[in-house]
Amino acid sequence: MNMKTRSINKIIGIAAVLFFAMAFMAFITPQDQKKGGPWEIPSKYAKMENPYAGDTDLIKIGKMLYSKHCKSCHGNKGLGDGPKAKQLETFPGNFATETFQGGTDGEIYYKSIIGRDEMPNYEKKITDDEDRWAIINYLRTLK
Amino acid sequence: MKKLNIFLTILLLLPVFLIAQDGETEIARVKSKPVRAPFGCPVVIDNQTVYIPTAKTLEFVIEHRFGKIENISNLFGIYGSSNIRLGVNYSITNKLSVGFGTTKYRKLQDFRIKYNILEQTRDDKMPIALTAYGNMGIDARAESYFGQNYKFTNRLSYFTELIVARKFTDWLSIQVSGSFSHINRVDSLMEHDKIGISFSGRARVSAQSSIIFNYGIPLDIKGIQEHTTLTNPPKQNFGIGWEISTSTHCFQIFVTSATDLSPQYTMMENQNDWLDGDLFFGFTITRLWSF
Repeated sequence: MNMKTRSINKIIGIAAVLFFAMAFMAFITPQDQKKGGPWEIPSKYAKMENPYAGDTDLIKIGKMLYSKHCKSCHGNKGLGDGPKAKQLETFPGNFATETFQGGTDGEIYYKSIIGRDEMPNYEKKITDDEDRWAIINYLRTLK
Repeated sequence: MKKLNIFLTILLLLPVFLIAQDGETEIARVKSKPVRAPFGCPVVIDNQTVYIPTAKTLEFVIEHRFGKIENISNLFGIYGSSNIRLGVNYSITNKLSVGFGTTKYRKLQDFRIKYNILEQTRDDKMPIALTAYGNMGIDARAESYFGQNYKFTNRLSYFTELIVARKFTDWLSIQVSGSFSHINRVDSLMEHDKIGISFSGRARVSAQSSIIFNYGIPLDIKGIQEHTTLTNPPKQNFGIGWEISTSTHCFQIFVTSATDLSPQYTMMENQNDWLDGDLFFGFTITRLWSF
């Protein structure tokens, strides 16, 4: 093996190691995703009545809207495991927990529609109030 | 014949002129809620839809057509020559949007306006949605393309369309539209005007995914024809594909027989015959920003 072939092999070797190292890094997920702190919910929202409470017809609509607007981060069943969840700095929450389901409909409305930090505001994307409550009615089924 | 042309132009432009009047009567009208999203994207393959994003939303649209689907050696058209349009639309109100776009073919710069005259309501008091769409294109190629006696107006082309849509069920929306296309400067044997009709639809298969189709038919109407026999009359265009719409995006991938990204040229100059296998892969992507 001459010098030239040896040095080419060396370069290929280094390139291969770098390539596999980079490919391997793609599987590393950030371990330091923080949990969101407690929400400060204005009493106006916390006390809000759900005018569509118990309206089961709206659950189907809510599910459709959830799929369109929420699923990519919050996941199919609201466990916070959607395909975009891992890119977030803050864990998007688990809707099946007692902590989440224990809140009033108005509190869930504030968290879902008004949002904070990485949770975007949906007032302009979901403009119809009935549609907003439809999502809350659907979230109630994710216990 | 010229009178008829003027009459037809006015007839098709009428909805755009009626915008102001409609706004005034709206206050008096009893509000019924509009149906939820009959269409989720501003275009359905090669045609406009009745969809306008909510007020103060900026929409960025990327439309792309690959080359003709031939075989694996051109990767089914993906390695072929392509056409692309980049556009932005802004919703001034929930019912009115304006936009601008630029296209590779003809270096066409287009200005467009879209207005929802009527919205279908959930109580079916208004059973259909009615939308007017118009655009003006400016062919920005070098002067030499336009031959002798060049004038700036040679570059202009127009498209006006009235779209009637109905959401029949939760999963099925169909629209029918009539259009009038005009190109200011054409070759001596070609027509300046064309009336066309289109049928399009969206069949939802899941919360986010739908099957979409569009069929456009340029009509040969003797009354507005300039020549007794038509030279290279435009072919009907057909497209079918898949749509995914999310909160801030809409994505369509499809096969179509039209490669022009401006509807007036599709209606007046499309020479691809889908029955003859002249088909092209294409996609549309939109991104929305709310302000």
